[in-house]
Amino acid sequence: MTKKKTTKKAIRKEIYVIAIMFATVFIAMIVYLSYYVKEGAKDFIYNSYNSRFSAFSDDVTRGSIYTADGHIIAKTSYDDSKQEIRVYPDERLFSHAVGYVDQGMAGLEAYYSFDLLKSHISLKDQINNNLSGKKSPGDDLYTTFDYETQVAAYEGMGMYDGAVIAIEPSTGKVVAMVSKPDYDPNTIATYWNDINSESNSKSVLLNRATQGAYPPGSTFKIVTTIAYLRANNGNSDFSYNCNGSLKVGDFTIHCSSNKSHGSENLLKAFSNSCNSAYAYMGINLNKDEFTETAEELLFNDTLPTQIEATKASNFSLANSDDKLVGQTSIGQGNTTVSPLHMCMLVSAIANDGELMEPYYADKLVSAEGDIVSQTDEKSYGQIMSDSEVDLLNEYMEAVVMDGTADSVDFGDLKVYGKTGTAEYTTNKSMTHSWFVGYAIDNTGKELAIAVIMEGAGYGSKHAAPLAAKVFNAYFQ
Amino acid sequence: MVSVLITFSRITILIFVMVFTLLDVIQIFEAKIGEDLSGIFSTIQSIMVVCFLINGSIILYYVKEDPRIIILAIFQLALFIAISISMTKLNYGKSGALLNNMLMLLSFSFIALERLDMSRATRQFVFAIASAGIAILAMLVLKNIKHINRKLFIFALVGIALLLIVHFTGKVEYGAKLSLSFGGISIQPSEFVKLTYLFFISGCIVTYKDMRGFLFSTIGAALHVLVLVFSKDLGTAMIFLVAYVFIIFIAYKNYIVLSLEFIVAFAGGIFAYNRFPHIQSRFIAWSDPLSVIDDKGYQITQSLFAIGSGGWFGSGLTNGQPNKIPVVTKDFIFAAISEELGAVVAICLIVIVMCTSIMLFNRAFACSSSFYMLIINGIAIIFSIQAILNIGGVIKFIPSTGVTLPFISYGGSSLLSMFICFYIAQCSDELIYINKGRRRYD
Repeated sequence: MTKKKTTKKAIRKEIYVIAIMFATVFIAMIVYLSYYVKEGAKDFIYNSYNSRFSAFSDDVTRGSIYTADGHIIAKTSYDDSKQEIRVYPDERLFSHAVGYVDQGMAGLEAYYSFDLLKSHISLKDQINNNLSGKKSPGDDLYTTFDYETQVAAYEGMGMYDGAVIAIEPSTGKVVAMVSKPDYDPNTIATYWNDINSESNSKSVLLNRATQGAYPPGSTFKIVTTIAYLRANNGNSDFSYNCNGSLKVGDFTIHCSSNKSHGSENLLKAFSNSCNSAYAYMGINLNKDEFTETAEELLFNDTLPTQIEATKASNFSLANSDDKLVGQTSIGQGNTTVSPLHMCMLVSAIANDGELMEPYYADKLVSAEGDIVSQTDEKSYGQIMSDSEVDLLNEYMEAVVMDGTADSVDFGDLKVYGKTGTAEYTTNKSMTHSWFVGYAIDNTGKELAIAVIMEGAGYGSKHAAPLAAKVFNAYFQ
Repeated sequence: MVSVLITFSRITILIFVMVFTLLDVIQIFEAKIGEDLSGIFSTIQSIMVVCFLINGSIILYYVKEDPRIIILAIFQLALFIAISISMTKLNYGKSGALLNNMLMLLSFSFIALERLDMSRATRQFVFAIASAGIAILAMLVLKNIKHINRKLFIFALVGIALLLIVHFTGKVEYGAKLSLSFGGISIQPSEFVKLTYLFFISGCIVTYKDMRGFLFSTIGAALHVLVLVFSKDLGTAMIFLVAYVFIIFIAYKNYIVLSLEFIVAFAGGIFAYNRFPHIQSRFIAWSDPLSVIDDKGYQITQSLFAIGSGGWFGSGLTNGQPNKIPVVTKDFIFAAISEELGAVVAICLIVIVMCTSIMLFNRAFACSSSFYMLIINGIAIIFSIQAILNIGGVIKFIPSTGVTLPFISYGGSSLLSMFICFYIAQCSDELIYINKGRRRYD
């Protein structure tokens, strides 16, 4: 009998070769399905074609959204007729970040709709609620925003349109994000048609901080500087004699106010924001290497963030003549950036060249206080070398100490920055005011920021003082 | 009250299915754990099947307030008892692991269909009764055909003829010719050709011990596959091809032939991809469904929405929106199960299917005639590949091929052919004894 069995085994072992092949495929499918449910589904199911969200709200009350320091920025309440309504206590303060639920959802309300409508309270309570016909409370979303910092950024914008975004360099946490013009999510339904009418050209719904496409102006000199350093193997030797303008063929690039800066090294050219020197520098760079550096600094591709719906920045030197290359080198030309992108670059400088991917949805917490899920800090990797970071720190410090931003009062903070004054029409008197940079306090805490104020004029007059206010609020 | 029942049942259903699944994994080693223990496990499994079916039916009854559900549940249990008795009678009391799996898959089918479409559920139940009856009859017929393996050319002729009829007169569904219509009843002959095909190939190999066996089976298989390809029924063509390749491998134990055939099949796949636009569009729908969400990608994205929205523990039976998925009762029924009963239950279902596949291979391994050994291998292969193509397509593991999920998808032809297959697998030794005039061995 045993002998018979062994021969059968020997003869028919191929059966199990096939059986194991199939079993392997089944197990692979189980792994794939598990992975999809755990990771993939999260990105996939937030889609307007998925009609299932509305059904969740029958059993669950949509959870609240909080700042990191516990301020409620969105909650579910009840109107006079006991109908659920969504309330935003700070009205316009977080409009683009938090979004809205009426009119098809946007912002965090849209991306976390699914999670806000899931309840992770104990099963016993869920059954009790079911029995008594009550809804279970949905999970709450904690953001990374700091309330006071957001207020400072929001109020600092005053009447201007534009954007502010501030990031903690060591983690990627977005601490403040403002985009103007804005809207009041409480009442968006009533003036929805007005916002979207063709005569309204202000793009109120656009989140300028993550999706704006601005000319970077002189803040782009950070990129040109890195391109120059990479072209010269990290050697920062540079000399230029500025007489206030540079002739490129029949086109003249002027320094700000036609000021002649005289003899400059790289440090001086950067801190003076000398257009002539940078146009000259850019024209003499190899176009392909310049483009390669820009792309290493995240141009022309989706930004590596954990924030949904961000816009890629554009940089192109293809078919550019010297005139256009010169303009591009000083942040004019065809280049466009989002404030988020500029903030990521200075954040990487502050974090010794390592870029942490920005995020502002921190964690989901059940109504009973248990953490349901938490966003992990994620490093994109080193986008600048140590020596590049050292030089840029030196240059950006000079901008604040005795360069274009020396008139700005940053208090006791150590600040590294770059101003920008970006032309956006042929009318040279109309300029956007830029400031990008970061600050460190005496405990080593850091904050990176990008500010743009549309049509405000000099970066040093408007954007940099606003950055100072935001820093002050954050480091209090 | 109803919502409490549903919430509570999310746990109980999970427990029933998980206990069944756990025992199923143990039951793969049926031969090692001994008859007594295996018998106890089988009994527990049968209880789980009944509990699952009753629990699901109760929820559906309260939600739909349709008394037909209770009546159906009673008849379904009666059918299960009838199937169990018939199988025990036909095979002298072998342990019932494979039988339990078949009944569990049927229970999934009944509950899912009753939830999705009551009239289809009723019809499917009628098909199930008919299929069980026909399968028992088929066993009695097979017992009484002498030298069935030598009738191989009849099987080949019948098979190819049926496929040709479909090719020339069948109606086109989803870009492929699949079915014939007789006075309102539509049948899919390819489901039955799977059986004649297995009898033919196994017959060739057993009857001709020399190269002719290989030659005839290859030519016959090629003819079947070609007709299917030209009918654009590529899912079935693939099943036939894989079944042929693996049966040849098991019969001749030749790794070189296996690799060669893989290369030929791969080349054929590339040829088909270039030749048929509807395969290309399925590839696009697979690689980036959101880009064609309005059109070719609609079905798979709805399926993924369903699975993703249901999450690990599901929305609860009747709480989801599985009817948003086109053709959900046939090709995409797995997504409906996963949405409402949860991904954990869906994963258990994959494990159950995998265990069923292994048990079928176990049966082949233990079979005392080489003819039925090959046929049962073929059944195991067809069952497995069909489940893989179906579930893989639903979860976007592979491009969707429009193949049904054995025992679970709506459709009478596929159900009947699977019933016959499982009866053969369960009763093969009985079929042989009479044929060869031998009665028993120990």
